[in-house]
Amino acid sequence: MSQVTLTIDDKRVTVPAGTNVIEAAKTIGVEVPHYCYHSRLTVAGNCRMCLVAVGMPKRGPDGAPVKDKDGNAEIGFMPKLQIGCATPVAEGMVVKTRSPDVEKARTGVMEFLLINHPLDCPICDQAGECRLQEFAVDYGRGESRFVELKVHKPKQVPLGKKIMLDNERCIMCSRCERFMREVAKHDCLGFTKRGSHTELACYPGREPDTNYDLNLVDICPVGALTSTDFRFKMRTWFLKETKSVCAGCSTGCNVTIASRDRQIHRLTPRDNDDVNQSWMCDQGRLDFHYVNDERRLVSPEVRVSTRKGVTPELQAVEWALALEAAAELLEEAKKDGSKVAMIASAGATTEELFAFGRLRAALNAEHCDCVPHTGPADGYLHTEDRNANGRGAALTGVAASPLGSKLDAIKAGIAAGNIDTVIVLGEDLSQLGLSGAELAKLRALITLDILPNATTREASVVFPIAAWSEKPGTLINKDGRVQRCDAAVPPPGEAQVAALVLANLIERIGAPSIGRTWVEIFKHMTTEFSELGVTQISQLGDTGRLLGAKRESQAAALGAAGSAAE
Amino acid sequence: MAFEPPASLVSQIDTLIGHYPPTQRRAAALWLCHLVQDHAGLLGPEQVEWIAEKLGVPPMDIHEVVSFYPMLSSQKLGKYHLKICRSVSCDASGCSKLFSAAKLRLGIDVGETTADGQFTLSAFECLADCGSGPSMMINDEHFSSVTPESLVKTIEGLSQNGLAEQRLPTPPPPHPAEKRLLLAGISDPGHTGSLSQYRARGGYVALGKALKMAPAEIVDEVKKSGLRGRGGAGFPTGTKWSFVDKKSGKPVYLIVNGDESEPGTFKDRVLLHHQPHMLIEGIAIAAHAVGCHTAYIYLRGEFPKAVQVLEKAIEEARAQNLVGKNILGSGFDLEIYLHRGAGAYICGEETGLIESLEGKRAYPRIKPPFPAVSGLFGCPTVVNNVETLCNIPHIIDKGGAWFASMGVQGSTGTRILCVSGRVKRPGYYEIEQGKLTLRQLIFDVCGGLYEGRTLKGVIPGGSSMPVLLPEQLDVNLDFDSIQKAGSLAGSGGIVVLDDRSSAVATTLNVAQFYAHESCGQCTPCREGTLWMEKILHRIHKGKGRPEDVPLLLDVTNQIDGKTICPLGEAAAWPVRAFVTKYKSEFEAACAPKKEEQP
Repeated sequence: MSQVTLTIDDKRVTVPAGTNVIEAAKTIGVEVPHYCYHSRLTVAGNCRMCLVAVGMPKRGPDGAPVKDKDGNAEIGFMPKLQIGCATPVAEGMVVKTRSPDVEKARTGVMEFLLINHPLDCPICDQAGECRLQEFAVDYGRGESRFVELKVHKPKQVPLGKKIMLDNERCIMCSRCERFMREVAKHDCLGFTKRGSHTELACYPGREPDTNYDLNLVDICPVGALTSTDFRFKMRTWFLKETKSVCAGCSTGCNVTIASRDRQIHRLTPRDNDDVNQSWMCDQGRLDFHYVNDERRLVSPEVRVSTRKGVTPELQAVEWALALEAAAELLEEAKKDGSKVAMIASAGATTEELFAFGRLRAALNAEHCDCVPHTGPADGYLHTEDRNANGRGAALTGVAASPLGSKLDAIKAGIAAGNIDTVIVLGEDLSQLGLSGAELAKLRALITLDILPNATTREASVVFPIAAWSEKPGTLINKDGRVQRCDAAVPPPGEAQVAALVLANLIERIGAPSIGRTWVEIFKHMTTEFSELGVTQISQLGDTGRLLGAKRESQAAALGAAGSAAE
Repeated sequence: MAFEPPASLVSQIDTLIGHYPPTQRRAAALWLCHLVQDHAGLLGPEQVEWIAEKLGVPPMDIHEVVSFYPMLSSQKLGKYHLKICRSVSCDASGCSKLFSAAKLRLGIDVGETTADGQFTLSAFECLADCGSGPSMMINDEHFSSVTPESLVKTIEGLSQNGLAEQRLPTPPPPHPAEKRLLLAGISDPGHTGSLSQYRARGGYVALGKALKMAPAEIVDEVKKSGLRGRGGAGFPTGTKWSFVDKKSGKPVYLIVNGDESEPGTFKDRVLLHHQPHMLIEGIAIAAHAVGCHTAYIYLRGEFPKAVQVLEKAIEEARAQNLVGKNILGSGFDLEIYLHRGAGAYICGEETGLIESLEGKRAYPRIKPPFPAVSGLFGCPTVVNNVETLCNIPHIIDKGGAWFASMGVQGSTGTRILCVSGRVKRPGYYEIEQGKLTLRQLIFDVCGGLYEGRTLKGVIPGGSSMPVLLPEQLDVNLDFDSIQKAGSLAGSGGIVVLDDRSSAVATTLNVAQFYAHESCGQCTPCREGTLWMEKILHRIHKGKGRPEDVPLLLDVTNQIDGKTICPLGEAAAWPVRAFVTKYKSEFEAACAPKKEEQP
């Protein structure tokens, strides 16, 4: 693509032809304030906040550039300010984003946007991340010159089940309308009435009902569209943000987990051009509440008899005791690997799957696989393959090929009594159609999980582990992109990161250690699987890297870490 | 309950849908809304959903349209819908008395319907009959020079005899100062505007001539004529045509802007009703020049009679092979279709008009791209004003040089000037450009002011243009001279204000118009126009504060030049001009009030 060089605020900048002034300015760290412009939507040009002064070199009658007495090109500025979003760069263009005229125009637009805007920031969910608040700091007048009655419009209008609209807060930027039409492909929003009385609306009975509606809340620059799930739950400035990846399917949308204390409050998408652009599906976004579930497993349990002749029952014990109990069972199992089956979740991190695979090797376990999870694909980001790390399970050899193809044999083996030891990571075997009675027959059933289920109830040893948002790790998406998760909140109670539990067991049964810390496990893993292409997790940057991709320098990986979120 | 239109209506609708490309059925939305509303009395959910399904669009698209255009209603309207004009010229000629009389007689307020469902009373923005104000419409019938007495009589007549068809007014004979080129013959006894009459006066000779010319020759001739657009901006017509992208491989469209709605302007009304064939001939020549085979005439919704007149004229022309296939054996094909608006000033802005023609809210587009490159349905498009196109046959007939010999440098030919407000003989006058001063027009041609009145000011180019003070009247009536005087010739609507008008009240009236007509798309116009209206309203109510004067000027500056389309300027300029030029009046109205005695 051809390159164009222009001058923005006295700095020369070279960008691809076709880039608009807002994006060109961004490359040199100059923010041109805007509301309606969004890099992934068509240009509407309605907010008028991004007005800038634009000039071009003057040309004489002969077409040659006109020079001043110092030999510099004379610039002819357009009589009116231009909107940066709809102004493509041109060779020799000169842009001023901070001239007195520009600042005056922005102050004017800010004042106009605020005169009819309600003063309800104290109870507005957007407060703290509101573009009106942000730019009012820069361009607000400090005091209102508006003494008339504000225009009143409908408030608390449900737009479908997931979104609440406050029309008085709406600044008619039309991002939502364009998103529904252009991205969600459900052209259901529009504007009714006109002038200052204009209202955002949808036709009764044709509300937004796609798997992407909640992105509207993200792109709404003000508090007009709020999420019914998050509404009034938490002031945004209390939220801690952790970069992570959604584990809802094999796409691996990049997300930000917002938490306070030990609670996750919401997920929002994080930009990644190669994965999810700026979006995520609602199912993935809302599927975090289980992490906050009160029934979470919080201490290790071991099945023991309290008295002779009494059926053994699961008892909460110290970690050391549980690990010892498990190790004992595994020592026995080691003697005949043909009787051992191991089943892992293909949503576990690559590190966990690596450790699981090493335990399998130590036990020489004959049977090993993952449980495939599927669901209807939505034609965009949400895939039929709901395994967040199917590629990781294949890479580490934990999953059979194809994934799940050995499950029938395992099931038959358990039913026939040929398999007497089962080790489970994050799955419930009742999903395979195994009954509680069949599981109870097993000599040893060791499970690592986050919530109680039919398998944990029948287990010999239960290890409570950290959920996806409580641990570091990598997930490899359907395209083979290795992406990084981080711990947003600590695991509840005594729950531990599964990789560490598995590493401990490996050591206890005398197999070669894979380390005692997560970093050591990661090193072992990346040594064994060089196609991961990194030796430290930070080398993945914020947006991950493809399996087998040529190794880039760490700086380059970090530099590619996503453009600023809109 | 689903809406079930009669078969005759459905077939009428299907014909209209056929006037638009098969992939652009939505463009018929306004037509369908009109027809369905006329039939059902409203556009409620059943009607909206029926139209949406018919056009293959989501119901929201139709719902938006219904709520955007004032002539469309989701509520059941009365059997008789009284639409009284409230804009600046009718205000100057006393429309407030009509509202009082109608409210008193009907026992309802503006915006209400009588309990028996007989009458709805509405205030409408400019009905483009400013020279014969105050004016009003009842359903599709237009009434000029209405008095409170005639209004009451009309209302009583409705109850007894129903709504009688109103005949078009007979145009007055030309004033000696006039040079009638476009208006030629309209006041002759028996003038009907029919094809035979038009041909008898030499009509369609120019078309025959043009069809033998190469398109580029026509464009050159129009460039040579110096013709500038008569809609308001005054852009050179030939140059506009030369911008059309003929290499895109897409069809080229010509749209006639017949959405005359700038308060004070009523010239296109006369041409549409009395010279339909001059317009059609102009369209045909222009279409040939720009390579267009489908032209749309966008008529403002308040001109239902013009729809009938033009439909008839197009059929007459078709019968004589002046429209349709292989026109006059030249091999050139042209279809002309009518498109009916529904009451939105913003449709006069060419990209707002294009959006409206596409069946959407009339939100003006960001330019570039200009319509000449990407206009209607994304195709190269020329939008020309009615009066502009009516000049074309004359230019082709007698030559660009001949046309340029009329008027003055930069303002060639004639212009139909519309005079309204407080003069003895308001009306339209076709004047050779630059050959008359504003003072001569008002005092010599229009008979001057009413007895005992003094001149307050004159708006020279439609209500959006800055007002001129009495001492500024010795300005020649041409584009450049008026611009030098600090205003613009605009649409040719000249509104005369005398000492009965208060500067504050007039500014409020104009500000109310632009606040009502702001489409709401971009921030400065959407918020600024209503704010100005509210400030002015407060001042008018005696609650002005000294800081309101600089505040109003500041608001105009915050709008001017910051908007997507020129409505921002149209709203800001008149307020700025009135406040600046009648500052003492505003300051007096905003002076600190003495404390009221307890």
